[in-house]
Amino acid sequence: MARQNLLPRTAPFGDGERASLDAVLGAATPVQRAWLAGFLAAFDAAGGQPAAAPSAPPKAAEPLTIVYASESGNSEALAGNVAKLARKQGFKPKVVDFSDLDIASLPKAGKLIAIAATWGEGEPPARAVRAYGELMGEGAPRIDGVDFAVLALGDTSYVEFCAIGKALDARFEALGGKRAAERADLDLDFEKPAADWIKNTLKALAPAETPDNVVAVDFARAAAGEDDEAEPSREPVVVEVVEHVNLNSSRSDKETIHLALAFEDGAPAYEPGDSLEIFPENDPQLVDEILNAAGLLGDETLRQALLAERDITTLSAATIERFVKATGHADAQTLIDSGEARAWIEGRHLIDLLATFPATLTAEHLNTITRPLPPRAYSIASSRKEVGDEVHLAIVAVRYETHGRARSGVASVHVADRIRDGAKLRVRVKPNRHFRLPQDPATDIIMVGPGTGVAPFRAFVQERRAIEAPGRSWLFFGDRHFLHDFLYQLEWQEALEDGSLTKIDVAFSRDQPEKIYVQNRITHNAQELVSWLEGGAHFYVCGDAKNMAKDVRAAVVRAYEIAKSLSPADAEAQVAALERSHRYQQDVY
Amino acid sequence: MDDHSPRDDAQALAPTPAPRVYETPPKDRPITDAEAARAAQLAANEHIKIASGYLRGGLADGLLKHATGAISEDDGQLVKFHGMYMQDDRDLRPERTKKKLDKAYSFMIRLRIAGGVISPQQWLALDDIAVTYAGSALRATTRQTFQYHGVIKSNLKRTMAAIDGALLDTIAACGDVNRNVMAATNPAQVGAHGAAHRLAKDISDSLLPKTSAWREIWLDGERVVGGEEEEVEPVYGRTYLPRKFKIVVAVPPSNEVDIFAHDLGFIAILDKNNQVTGWNVTVGGGMGMTHGEPETFPRTADVMGFVAPEDAIKVAEAVMTVQRDWGNRKNRKNARLKYTIERYGLAAFRAEVETRIGKTLGEPKPFTFTNNGDRFGWTEGDDGRHHLTLYVPSGRIKDYEDGPQFLTGLRTIAQVHEGDFRLTANQNVIIANVPTEKRAAIEALVDQYGITKGAGALRRNSIACVALPTCGLALAESERYLPDLMTELEESLATHGLAEEEITIRSTGCPNGCARPFIAEIGLVGRGPERYHLYLGAAFDGSRLSKLYKEDVAASDIRDTLDPLFADFAKGRNPGEHFGDYLIRAGHVARTVNGPDFHDRTGALKPAGHA
Repeated sequence: MARQNLLPRTAPFGDGERASLDAVLGAATPVQRAWLAGFLAAFDAAGGQPAAAPSAPPKAAEPLTIVYASESGNSEALAGNVAKLARKQGFKPKVVDFSDLDIASLPKAGKLIAIAATWGEGEPPARAVRAYGELMGEGAPRIDGVDFAVLALGDTSYVEFCAIGKALDARFEALGGKRAAERADLDLDFEKPAADWIKNTLKALAPAETPDNVVAVDFARAAAGEDDEAEPSREPVVVEVVEHVNLNSSRSDKETIHLALAFEDGAPAYEPGDSLEIFPENDPQLVDEILNAAGLLGDETLRQALLAERDITTLSAATIERFVKATGHADAQTLIDSGEARAWIEGRHLIDLLATFPATLTAEHLNTITRPLPPRAYSIASSRKEVGDEVHLAIVAVRYETHGRARSGVASVHVADRIRDGAKLRVRVKPNRHFRLPQDPATDIIMVGPGTGVAPFRAFVQERRAIEAPGRSWLFFGDRHFLHDFLYQLEWQEALEDGSLTKIDVAFSRDQPEKIYVQNRITHNAQELVSWLEGGAHFYVCGDAKNMAKDVRAAVVRAYEIAKSLSPADAEAQVAALERSHRYQQDVY
Repeated sequence: MDDHSPRDDAQALAPTPAPRVYETPPKDRPITDAEAARAAQLAANEHIKIASGYLRGGLADGLLKHATGAISEDDGQLVKFHGMYMQDDRDLRPERTKKKLDKAYSFMIRLRIAGGVISPQQWLALDDIAVTYAGSALRATTRQTFQYHGVIKSNLKRTMAAIDGALLDTIAACGDVNRNVMAATNPAQVGAHGAAHRLAKDISDSLLPKTSAWREIWLDGERVVGGEEEEVEPVYGRTYLPRKFKIVVAVPPSNEVDIFAHDLGFIAILDKNNQVTGWNVTVGGGMGMTHGEPETFPRTADVMGFVAPEDAIKVAEAVMTVQRDWGNRKNRKNARLKYTIERYGLAAFRAEVETRIGKTLGEPKPFTFTNNGDRFGWTEGDDGRHHLTLYVPSGRIKDYEDGPQFLTGLRTIAQVHEGDFRLTANQNVIIANVPTEKRAAIEALVDQYGITKGAGALRRNSIACVALPTCGLALAESERYLPDLMTELEESLATHGLAEEEITIRSTGCPNGCARPFIAEIGLVGRGPERYHLYLGAAFDGSRLSKLYKEDVAASDIRDTLDPLFADFAKGRNPGEHFGDYLIRAGHVARTVNGPDFHDRTGALKPAGHA
């Protein structure tokens, strides 16, 4: 290996030291050399200690703005990964949540990476709605000279796959930006391709030559750790089910499983507001139906893979295309060609495809056609301060029928039907920094959580009980029937008794002729609700994203109209201000 | 029975009674001061009444406690005065705590329908309430009214508003007050029924609590600023009655209202034209007792005297206010009028009533009762109108899966019916006042919906209380069990040629006596899960109490216990003799003269099956 003697003989080092330094520096990239220069400057400035900040900042590293639009936290996690890697490579990354994004700052971004999730039927994540709207609107600034790249996350089981990422990619270009790397549209199994994309994109964004040979190193950040909260391990852990009970009465048409999971070696450091991912298994009966349809009954290895590793329910246009590619099935090809595939997949699953277009498949085919089975995330319903080394979840069993077939949610029905006390589950904590109790325990909180949306609020109330938080708390809960669906009813009664819950309002939609929902209770209580909010209360919503969260937001706007005699626009501004100050937080799905 | 009152009967047949020593009645009105009530050690409910501010208590606030379907224990006592009982679904109790759910609380709501007469419009309104808030069922009760089950707290005000919209209410349907006043339905005697119904209605109105609490709490009515106590409740006062108080009006020869089972009764005395010339007044009947406490007992009423029609309401008020002042307020198990009369004697009681009405009562007039059941099928009134008495098993008006559609059928009939409906004290329904030309159309609808116009002899004469799962007092099943038991007994009766024999049979889940089991020829009173006390030897016309024949019988042994008695009865009876009378004459069971000897000489007096 060619060795370059970089240090002059006059350098104040012994020969051995000089050789060692040459060994490192000679092989170093310009970026590494620049980083080292910055490091040493800052080190000296701090008097030989890692410093809070270098007194004389050396020349700046290449700034990189990473914006993310995240709903479930995946985009956010990836943004963090980008920042970590970018910092190593000499960038000065700045991570910005779309909810905090000032679009006027974009023209000065220089280099820009956007990571965007697509939600529901082609919508931006809730927190991103405002900035996304501004960016797509007429008032958006030009970003000439900005190098950008977009990473799109989505779910191929939805028709508008990665719509938001695609729209951003096109928009940045239209506004004058220069695409530094091709966009990637990633499905639920994004982790590996995302890592590749990040590596390649950072390479593409890196300057050909380091502009200066000194890079700023922020010791404050290094000393404090990357983040405010320690990041729990991404490695799945096996836990034992210690309580498994259906919270709905035997007269209910719903089934909500309360799960208590015990961690043998101590529960991970989760916080109220975080989620827990469960690695489910597929319904063995469905696996057998698929094996039967594919003519692969008896292949035990494949059976095990389909049980635990492959997503054998989702059917998307992409699935059909892969199926046609694998089998050359003419009728399935016709379905695609006719343009009716999108309509056909509505309410159908993989088994319908295999049953409708019979084909003999190989194990390899099935692997190609299906995606990896993703974990499912559930809001944690407990506080470690109350339950110790356990995590509690509330999971509603999803069962319905379409096209003459009984369907079931993969994880929820796995938990409901095939998991019992003593069973083991593979799980992983998924942090949610955007759904957090107020720093100050004296701050009031208002929680809106119908159905299993109440789960994180059980954690909130447990936490605030444990720390004896002086702030008031107000819960809005709703479901179908008071007698049969009042999740954790006895616990709320106790919480009201001991003061950890101040007030509860309930909405049971099917107990009376007209439907009553939590949003109705919010407007009923307009005066008091607004008075809490004006006193600094934080407002939390958890549960259904499609209707409930929007209706609740509209109800809060309406509450301001009623309580303060405001115009709809002024009331809207009040709620928008709450959102901007992170006092209106959502965990919706 | 023959032409005499039960007291005559008792005096004729009982051994010479030991001279009774009665206590001296109190002079003062009831205690209404909280301190004094404590010093006098009055029963807990007296304190609740005193503190309630004329039945308000904490009810208004309790309705706003959204996390619970319950109200406080004290309010649970008060809410009875408003016509409701807080209950919970006992079938669900075992699973609730595990599911982190509170008990499945709901409310039973009982209407006040004096004489049990309602219009088709009211029927439709009540049906709509049942469908909307009460599990699509109306329950005809042994007090000639309807009750709803399963109304949850959040729907109470809506339900009450709807009842108010039907020009009905639930005031005083339960609680320590005069409850729903019953009257003979007597479809064949139009004039007498009219008089009985009018008297029931007038008594009901005049003895209705006057507090505005009901309207305030349930209909968001404005609070009427209270004046002096006497103005708010001139009759009841702050503490109402010591215990429940039940009034009925009978028209012989039918004792369908079970006159002897009630605190106060009026028996119509008719002239040759079936016109009411006055009323015999009965006092001191009542069913409730407690297992294992022989100082509690059921009692048949005494015939106290005769009153002219214009004095009847005055007498009703006087009887009730004497009980208000004399009744025991320290011990609720000794508070009914029957115990007051046992303590102070009928003579003293009658004298006080006469003082309060300012005149003496006449001597009782002769009367005859033949039965205490209903007449099923069509009858024609003396005004040419037609009346159809339906058989409603246990009074439960609902649609049975693959069975009779009582709810839908009667709703459809109410939409076309021009007369009225009458509820009977035996939990049945009469489609009354049908013009001749409409009879066929009504009949067709009854048949179309599979509604029963009658049943086998035993079922026709049966009553069951609600018991499990809603009643908090039930120790055993009743309504859900009696039909199965009757099927067994019908088989047994048939083997002895007794299939068409009229025998009264009644079951209750506890000894409080809602279905009046102690005056049925076969009485079953719940003791524990699937265990009953078996009472026999009552009179078919409801004039004589039964006697405990066998204690704590397993449900599965009831048929085998009765079968040999049926066999003996079939062989040894006199012509026309009823089962209860036979068992006494044949020496199987001792005759109960009245309440105080109810617990004497219990048990089988000889082996059965040897007649």
